[in-house]
Amino acid sequence: MAFNRKQAYIKMIQKGIMAMLPLNLAVLPWGILCGSLAIQRDFTVLEAILMPMLVFAGSVQLVVIELINDNVPLATILFTTFIISSRHLLYGLALRDKLKDLPFKWRGSLGFLLTDELFALSGKKRAYQGKLKLVYALAAGGSFYLCWLLWNIIGIVAGSYLPDLTSIGLDFAIAVTFIALVIPSVTNLAMLVTVVVAGLLSVLFKLLNWELGLVIASLIAMYSGYLTAKKQNALNIVNNKKAKIKL
Amino acid sequence: MTLLTIILLACITFFSRYLFLHPKLPIRIGAKITHFLSFSAPAVLTAIWVPIIFIKDNSFNSSFSNPYLLSATVAVITAYKSKSVYLTLGTSLSVFVLLRLAPI
Repeated sequence: MAFNRKQAYIKMIQKGIMAMLPLNLAVLPWGILCGSLAIQRDFTVLEAILMPMLVFAGSVQLVVIELINDNVPLATILFTTFIISSRHLLYGLALRDKLKDLPFKWRGSLGFLLTDELFALSGKKRAYQGKLKLVYALAAGGSFYLCWLLWNIIGIVAGSYLPDLTSIGLDFAIAVTFIALVIPSVTNLAMLVTVVVAGLLSVLFKLLNWELGLVIASLIAMYSGYLTAKKQNALNIVNNKKAKIKL
Repeated sequence: MTLLTIILLACITFFSRYLFLHPKLPIRIGAKITHFLSFSAPAVLTAIWVPIIFIKDNSFNSSFSNPYLLSATVAVITAYKSKSVYLTLGTSLSVFVLLRLAPI
């Protein structure tokens, strides 16, 4: 019995790692970029390692490294970080009902690991339900953490030998992974509306240089999708009633 | 100084991820909000990837000589048809690298 349980956990760990593997690989150039940039902008090796180890957020790392290098005031750096991170508030909110009653060791660890990538894998209805699914999520998120750290370290070690990598299109791998995760979930009109609105508004807000653009575009897109689903539901109910009356 | 900054940054990123997982927080999420939040993943992820494709150096680039756009089109079609993350990554990254090596 105990042996079977152990086997089931091992199986879940493998599944979690496999599910995260494409994302782990897709952020390889991004991680190398973050690590090498820190070194090129005069971070010590310790500081450069602590960025992925503790802060553990690609977009924050990239932006903040430049800000620290430009001697921007601390308050501005912290505020910018909060704005960039604010989308994670949404992730926590979306997963609240599934995670809030768990012991702190699960909430704390999964919370720490709750990146865009782990959230992207959390969409299934039964995600985080039961210990096996939690082990799965921990393995997925944990493998992402370790890879992120490793890619950063490669960047830190190679940093002084690499040219400035910021301008050669490394971000495409991230875009493609998100495309691969989002497009298959567009199975109905409400999802289509969500994705189209998010795409249009995010580009618009980015061109306007709105710091909060990402979150605002997402919120409006979510509301558009929600309204579409509600309208469709209402229409379906009306149609069903009509059909019944005809019968 | 940088060390202190890094620790403060870590607190902020952890705070933003953990806050709503905390049980003592006095909010309850009803059915409507749950439905609304079910759109969060496609919305946020799309709001991250679309600007990467269309914006270069703060200006809009929708020309087909933009390697990002052509490769992303391949990615969207592959993802839609195959639903496979690996196949999508494989085909579109190949197209992207080819376009970089030999621009149209």
